[in-house]
Amino acid sequence: MTHQYEVVYIFDSTLEESTINEKLEKFHALIRKDGVDAPTVDHWGKRTLAYPIQKKETGSYAVARFDAEPSALPEFERAIKLDDGVLRHLVVVHEGAQAVPVATGKSDEEDDE
Amino acid sequence: MKRPQKTCAICESGVRIVDFKDERTLQRFLTERGKILPSRLSGACARHQRQISTAIKRARQVALLPYVKGHVG
Repeated sequence: MTHQYEVVYIFDSTLEESTINEKLEKFHALIRKDGVDAPTVDHWGKRTLAYPIQKKETGSYAVARFDAEPSALPEFERAIKLDDGVLRHLVVVHEGAQAVPVATGKSDEEDDE
Repeated sequence: MKRPQKTCAICESGVRIVDFKDERTLQRFLTERGKILPSRLSGACARHQRQISTAIKRARQVALLPYVKGHVG
């Protein structure tokens, strides 16, 4: 039974886009299952961190969302921990969370009766 | 005389589950020291207040929100 997971990665800011994509490809190959669509990756690029992690002030963020077998996760997490290009990662079960629209109250689907 | 109850900002915007990556909204539920606002001040309903606090704790873990703001360290 596959669950939907969401992973936030913080990569070392010195890495370029290409190496980050390679690493992501390596990680996602571990949880890849046939018949399940490829993970959607959303790169946020370089951002300053709210507090220094491993003495670094900036990190490049990547958010991946995919369906995976729960049994494939320990192997996946171990690979991320072994990779020292990843400063930090957070795996979360995705339950349909979405951002609050900035213009609250004026979202189009809201019908003002 | 009981003060009129503040409406929950998240309920108004129609979002059912708060996203921890959306730190612009979550910032509104932090004090200027970076602590989580109690629901009596933030006006959030109980369900959303629980979601907000877990979302803030997750956002702090991935360095989107600070644990302590403005400390000289």
